[in-house]
Amino acid sequence: MPQHTTRRVRQVAALAVATAVGVSLAACSSGSGGASASSSAKEPQTFSFAFSEANTSDTSARQVADAFMKAHPGVTIQFQKLPAESYAQAIATRIQGGNAPDAFEAESGIGQADSIQPFAKAGLLLELANPQIKTDLAPAGIDQFSYGGKVYAVSRGSGVNGIIYNDVAAKGAGISLTGSSTFNEVLNGCAAAKAKGKSLFGLAGSIPANTSILAHEIATSTVYGPDPKWNAERNAGKVKFATTQGWTDALNAIKTLSDKGCFQPGAGGAGFDALTNGSSSGKLFGFFAPGGAAASIEAASGGHVKLTVLPFPAPAGVKTYASVSSDEAIAASAKTKSPKLVEEFLAYIASPEGQKIISTGTGFPIGSKDASQLPSTYQDVAPVVISGDTRSFPPLEWANGKVNDDLGAGIQGILNGQKTAAQVLQQMDTDWG
Amino acid sequence: MTATQGRVPAAVAAEPAPARGRRTGPARVAYGYWWWCIPAVLLTGTTIYVTTVSGAFFAFTNWSGIGSFDFIGIDNFVRIFRTPELLGSLTNTLGLAIGYLVFSNVIGILFALALNRTLKTRYILRTLIFMPVVLSPIAVSFVWKFIFAFDGPLNQTLGAVGLKGLQQDWLASPALALGCVLTVMVWQNIGFVMVTYLAGLATVPPELEEAAALDGAGTWRRFRSITLPMIQPSIAIATTLSLIQGLRVFDQVAALTGGGPDNATQTLASEIYQQTFTYQQFGFGAAMALMLSALILIFTIAQQRVTRDRTEIGA
Repeated sequence: MPQHTTRRVRQVAALAVATAVGVSLAACSSGSGGASASSSAKEPQTFSFAFSEANTSDTSARQVADAFMKAHPGVTIQFQKLPAESYAQAIATRIQGGNAPDAFEAESGIGQADSIQPFAKAGLLLELANPQIKTDLAPAGIDQFSYGGKVYAVSRGSGVNGIIYNDVAAKGAGISLTGSSTFNEVLNGCAAAKAKGKSLFGLAGSIPANTSILAHEIATSTVYGPDPKWNAERNAGKVKFATTQGWTDALNAIKTLSDKGCFQPGAGGAGFDALTNGSSSGKLFGFFAPGGAAASIEAASGGHVKLTVLPFPAPAGVKTYASVSSDEAIAASAKTKSPKLVEEFLAYIASPEGQKIISTGTGFPIGSKDASQLPSTYQDVAPVVISGDTRSFPPLEWANGKVNDDLGAGIQGILNGQKTAAQVLQQMDTDWG
Repeated sequence: MTATQGRVPAAVAAEPAPARGRRTGPARVAYGYWWWCIPAVLLTGTTIYVTTVSGAFFAFTNWSGIGSFDFIGIDNFVRIFRTPELLGSLTNTLGLAIGYLVFSNVIGILFALALNRTLKTRYILRTLIFMPVVLSPIAVSFVWKFIFAFDGPLNQTLGAVGLKGLQQDWLASPALALGCVLTVMVWQNIGFVMVTYLAGLATVPPELEEAAALDGAGTWRRFRSITLPMIQPSIAIATTLSLIQGLRVFDQVAALTGGGPDNATQTLASEIYQQTFTYQQFGFGAAMALMLSALILIFTIAQQRVTRDRTEIGA
């Protein structure tokens, strides 16, 4: 369940600080709105909008809807907040049952319970014909929001998948990692942390979504850095996981991290609770998650915790690339009674103005390379993002969700000595079909 | 006592009603009419059997849960037997079901025998042992997950009593994780099995055991020759229900291990859930569900034949 990672980890972020106090994010600019509502005046001017919130400070979906309503007097958006942990199943059931909200949060691409492409194929989603949407989505890659050449969803913004790192706590233990640190420096940091009875990283080994995101962060450099079209080549049968050295290197790197004691004791069977407990008790200094988690934790802690996002350093001899995903999306029901109005709403979300608001929940507006638009937690990863040394989140273009699940489960097998890297990669090739 | 009362025919126990009208034969109590059951039959038929047949229908399709589908014959069933990890799930399921049946029944009957008559504190002890049964399996499993955690109470206790060498990463070890799941399943079911056997033991006349004891029969002989045959119906019920619950185990696996480490604790039920809802292969999931249903049916019939009351066969 790879893309659920984002939502789940943000949910975890909410739990990370037990005494978290909800804070309101700064009000964003109201803006002038997008197209006039006149084109949709004959439609009902009230529509529903379903989304999930990881914690009390994760209000970006509400904020963008509020801004749209402010720019379109007479329009009312009814919020339907659904539980984050069961959101995918709940929204998928409603879409399939013909009871979908007019607009709703979903996942781009294919392979997840709430991925848009299967719904688009079944004719359940509203086609977004507004050409401006295509233009606005282009930096994120239009394919993951389309089916059959038609656009069906817009992005919630982009985020870097990296190390959510507590630099202040790590420096207290004499460890200093930055966005330009090397793999060997990470290993040295592991040894230093271990010597102090702590762990540099926390890993939820029993959660495939957590182990797989670490693999993706490393494979972004070892596989997709040198070969950005690797997924297309795999789809064409030109390459395989088992025969791609970069994938072997990525899994071997994880094995090395484990052998060197970089993860907390018992990492192989740990859940997300081990990350939250370890982080809050100062026993570990970082974990692997979408970058939005850093901002969520900071906000939830009322500013008491300062975190930064680091790209995972590539193994020796390989250039480091950052994993950037724009997988969270907003789509609309084909059955909406206000198709033009809802499309206007989605066009607003895709616009630079809407992106500025809604991307506070994920990281930054899609495709942005402007340092001023990056959140403060991205200070260390900013040079990589601005220079364009980034690659898309790999599983978005994979054949099915099982490939990524077996990557995550296989890494747990590697950590426990059940499997070798070669066996895991062969299983992924089998899953691909 | 109870045995004697149980043999009193209902017609004798009830005072015959005076005959009315044209009725000249023996008096009968009118319990109702056959068509009164139609609503219940319709409700059961539509909510259980029609939906089951509908599910079985999709087992022969490639439906993804959305949109159209094609009939693919028995391809889904062939695929089940050609997928090694599913055979692993089948092995795990059978292992858990048999272990669950054996351990929960053996421990349950021991508790029932211990708390049957003499112990003064038996009522409070019965309550305490039965208490886990009323708890949600998911909630119980999460508590046990905490207990089994690497830095959890189990390892801490082992360390505190000088058994650090026995400390394990319980749920991350492929060799131990399945045993942990079984432990939780058995722990929560013992109370139910105990109560079932206590109900059976209540039908065993103490006089019979006393007479056997006077004749020189030892504890084991009395248990084997008197108690065990007389609680045969309880054994049939407890083992059948344990077997069915064991074969369809899901909650404990989902909460404790999620099927891990690396699918080492995956069962048929958890595979069905994963294939159907995570991978959106509703057709394949339906085929697996049909197979699991057939498996439960076969094992239940076989188990019923093994544990049936032999005294009734000759009657």
